[in-house]
Amino acid sequence: MLPLAAFTVAFGLAFGVAAVHQGVNDWEAILMSSFVFAAPSQFAALEMWHSPLPLFALAVTTLAIHTRHMLMSAALYPWLQPLPKRQQLAMVVFLTDSNWAMALGEYQRGERNLGILLGGGVVLWSAWVVGTIIGLAFGEGITDPGRFGLDVIMLCFLLMIVVSGNPRAVMILPWLAASTSALMAYWWLPPYLHVIVGAVTGGMVAILLPERWFRVRVL
Amino acid sequence: MNSSPVLQSLLAIIIMAAIAYGSRVLGLLIMLRVPLGPQVRRFVDAMSNSVLIAVIVPIIVHGDGGVRLAAFAAGTVAIVLRSPLASIAIGMACAACWRWWFV
Repeated sequence: MLPLAAFTVAFGLAFGVAAVHQGVNDWEAILMSSFVFAAPSQFAALEMWHSPLPLFALAVTTLAIHTRHMLMSAALYPWLQPLPKRQQLAMVVFLTDSNWAMALGEYQRGERNLGILLGGGVVLWSAWVVGTIIGLAFGEGITDPGRFGLDVIMLCFLLMIVVSGNPRAVMILPWLAASTSALMAYWWLPPYLHVIVGAVTGGMVAILLPERWFRVRVL
Repeated sequence: MNSSPVLQSLLAIIIMAAIAYGSRVLGLLIMLRVPLGPQVRRFVDAMSNSVLIAVIVPIIVHGDGGVRLAAFAAGTVAIVLRSPLASIAIGMACAACWRWWFV
């Protein structure tokens, strides 16, 4: 738990610094970290944070990133089942990529104590918010962010999420389709549509591929 | 839209938070009724990564040499070392070095 919390502070720090660099106000970044509490969609939102805010594109992008959390909370359902419904709904407030993976691992090892899920979530949430605040304070002292490579934090973070999720050879085609369509949409369609186009194309291609390709694990 | 920037940001954050929490809850609510089929799973799986790819590809294509080197290094480190923080740190270092020498 502690290493994970330390990681989360560091990620929050990275987010805070990136937010300053993108011209996001302190209070916006802090509110985002406190209430959205999801690194990938927050980093993706930074990329779109220019006035006037593209609300629709922001909403669709967040939705596309978060559909994964639907699968995650669905996978945790057997563990939460004994609880009353209202408590079930409260348990998933702090659900994120990292503590979900941790929680599922614990469950498979026979752990039935739900306190781990909630407690872990609260710890990670605090770490994320504290990290963001430190990052904001730190980022403000730097005048030329590009010189220190601070502008590539967001890019590296998102790239890391994509490739570290155990990439499978079968995903090459969907990802290629997503990149190509996103790039074309970026050039020829109105701003920010490329994110939606890429997401849907990638998903569609994955459905169209033959079923048996998904049964082979190459990597 | 001509509302004030503050209201707009608040609205954007509320929308994002609602979707973020909504998807966590929706997974539970759906499981109460129907189990998700393999097709749906596959679509969601591919889409959640494709959306990130769609965000980063134009940045890499239109970025300077430092950005491209950073992306390459961070990707390689993430695959080989499986360490998220090392991947970001090395990406930043690469971008900084590139600009130190070439700009």
